[in-house]
Amino acid sequence: MQKIILNQTWKGMLMEVKRSSRTKTAVSVVVPFILLAVMIGYVFGPGSELISFGVVIPEISIEKVEFVDSEIIATVRNTGPIAVDIVMADINDRIYPAAIEPDKHLERFESAIVRIPFEWNEGEPYAVGLTIDDGTRFEKQVDVAAPSIQPTVEMITYFAIIGTYVGIIPVMIGLLWFPFISKLSRSKYKFFLALTVGLLLFLGISAAEEAIEISSENLSDVFNGVLLVATVAIVSFLALNFVGEKLKKRAGASKLAGPIAIALMIAIGIGLHNFGEGLAIGAAIVLGEAALGAFLIVGFALHNTTEGFAIAAPMARTKLMIGRLAAMGMIAGVPAIFGAWVGGFVYSPLAAVIFLAIGAGAIFQVIVTIMRWIQNEEGKLSNSSVLAGIAIGMIIMYITSILV
Amino acid sequence: MLTGGQKMIIVITVVSLGFAGYLVFPAMDITAQEQPEVFVTHSGAVVQTTGDVLDPVYTIQEVEFDPEKYLREFDYGEVSQLEDGTTLREFTIIAEDDKIMEIAPGIFYNVWTFNGQVPGPTIRATEGDLVRIHFTNNGDKEHTIHFHGNHPAEMDGIFEIVGSNGGQFTYEFIAGPVGVHPYHCHVMPVEEHIGHGLYGVFIVDPKDARQQADEMVMMLNGFDTDFDGENNLYAANTIPYYYQHHPIQINTNELIRVYVVNMVGLDPINNFHLHGTLYKYYPTGTDMVPSEFTDMTTFSQSERGILEFEYEYTGRYMFHAHLTEFSEKGWSGVFYAKDNSQPNMEGYAYGS
Repeated sequence: MQKIILNQTWKGMLMEVKRSSRTKTAVSVVVPFILLAVMIGYVFGPGSELISFGVVIPEISIEKVEFVDSEIIATVRNTGPIAVDIVMADINDRIYPAAIEPDKHLERFESAIVRIPFEWNEGEPYAVGLTIDDGTRFEKQVDVAAPSIQPTVEMITYFAIIGTYVGIIPVMIGLLWFPFISKLSRSKYKFFLALTVGLLLFLGISAAEEAIEISSENLSDVFNGVLLVATVAIVSFLALNFVGEKLKKRAGASKLAGPIAIALMIAIGIGLHNFGEGLAIGAAIVLGEAALGAFLIVGFALHNTTEGFAIAAPMARTKLMIGRLAAMGMIAGVPAIFGAWVGGFVYSPLAAVIFLAIGAGAIFQVIVTIMRWIQNEEGKLSNSSVLAGIAIGMIIMYITSILV
Repeated sequence: MLTGGQKMIIVITVVSLGFAGYLVFPAMDITAQEQPEVFVTHSGAVVQTTGDVLDPVYTIQEVEFDPEKYLREFDYGEVSQLEDGTTLREFTIIAEDDKIMEIAPGIFYNVWTFNGQVPGPTIRATEGDLVRIHFTNNGDKEHTIHFHGNHPAEMDGIFEIVGSNGGQFTYEFIAGPVGVHPYHCHVMPVEEHIGHGLYGVFIVDPKDARQQADEMVMMLNGFDTDFDGENNLYAANTIPYYYQHHPIQINTNELIRVYVVNMVGLDPINNFHLHGTLYKYYPTGTDMVPSEFTDMTTFSQSERGILEFEYEYTGRYMFHAHLTEFSEKGWSGVFYAKDNSQPNMEGYAYGS
């Protein structure tokens, strides 16, 4: 009895002093941080001799090299553990007068632009070198010099058209399978739904692989490429899960909500993936790899019709709503255009890795959603048509990926 | 009203987007200089920047070591006469290996020094003089001085390793033969000891003095500042491009004599090319008759010689390695030939 009263008083007090208890909570959160800061200050701070061994090795990374009128422009980032000064620039190991903006002192992770006036020749390879204050020289090799693309109206249109060919049109073509899917028997339908899972599984893995590849080739080790990809992919997975649940709740009890929400999730996931494809194409064109660019356009276009199919499949049991279907197609396809713009005009390997990882996370989230849906409909996933669908989906993707 | 979870999500989103934005886009520095700086390119174009200029080539930037002073500085030692009339020249040389020196604008390198400088002092004696060198090793590593030239085996600085932190040795020999010779540390790994700067020039003058001339020393050297087995910087007298933005002042119709010694390591050869005139070349300076009349001489490692020339016309004349890699990494300079009546062109810079 006394305990209950005590409890109630306690609760009452809590209500009364809610504000002050909040302050207490805040303090209790902050105090450990303060202690940690004090400890770090003591261990590493001035006058401390506890950790004074070992040699600190500075590092910079040349992330991007652009060729403009009579100038080579390198983007450099301090990716080492200590601040550095950039003191000298060279082209092909020959020193050139240059300028660094905003200034030559780079704190950790800070980046700057180095402008090296140089009459470069199109199509020739160049090595751009930068030397820091301790005399260490860092180099970035460019296989082929090509003028960097300026965001003029023509170029913006050009990339938009390419994005349309790669993203929107193939997805729309894929959506034309809608009537076919909607006429299928229940088990065949499930097979095609599982086929979508297979397709997406392949795309998700390929996006993650691509992200890891770019990070290992173009990003400094300091970014922990693989862990960056994993973290971004999982965060994107969780975020889309959250959004997906919200979408379903908002759609309420409507029977249509399930399939349409799933299709929308698929469209968003594929849209992020296509953003990555646009990025790759834009970057390839900028790097002067026109052949690779053309190859990617054809490859992605073929590839992407299967994405239209993936969007159409979950909606096939609902009434045909051409408007919605088209909207889904646009959600999935249009990001390819944005990707091409970003890849073409403001390419940054870090941005590319982050976008690709977001795409991978989104795709895996879609896979989970579809699998859950199949399970709800069917009760189990080990159905032979489901297993066959996933396997064949992956095989189709693998074969189209090596054919093009 | 937002729930706690939603708030948390918003916070996470904002923080991660902010961090990603910071990483993806080059930092915008609000403290950027208001006054734009300008610099001159190799082709003479003037380029403006809101940032910092990285230009060891044309910008006059002072560094610790003064090649201007080294160029014409000869150390004749403390002179006294022995009973038999021989001239005794005594020198004190101290080796150190802990100095961090700015060897090019902004580039700091651990130099190993004789008397605190790279190259060490130019030691000069006349053939037949008794040279006595009081050597102290104040470095953390063992060092010696190995002179090229004639001397007894135990004065060769090879097997008589001088211990670190105060080790001493006295080198004593009769100066000879006539010519220009290097001296350097000979402790292994020799490449490392030379690469860090333990070398200098030793000139032995003939008893019958050479013709009066404007004399100077050029030590051709290089530095592998990142230890990748390739030199990052080359120079005549240590500082890359120094004589490009501080042209060497000479007079027309006056004999110029340059003692050139090549101590570039890692690269098997170096060379010297002079513009606007040709020179008489005396390999190792041992013979009074020139072997060549040329404007290009190739030097292997530690190869050296004496150049004699005159300019007829006033103006700026380049001298540099004709190995363009070396010249475009610092080994190039300019003679400014003037009439005696002309004003001093101190600080004459490219493009000015």
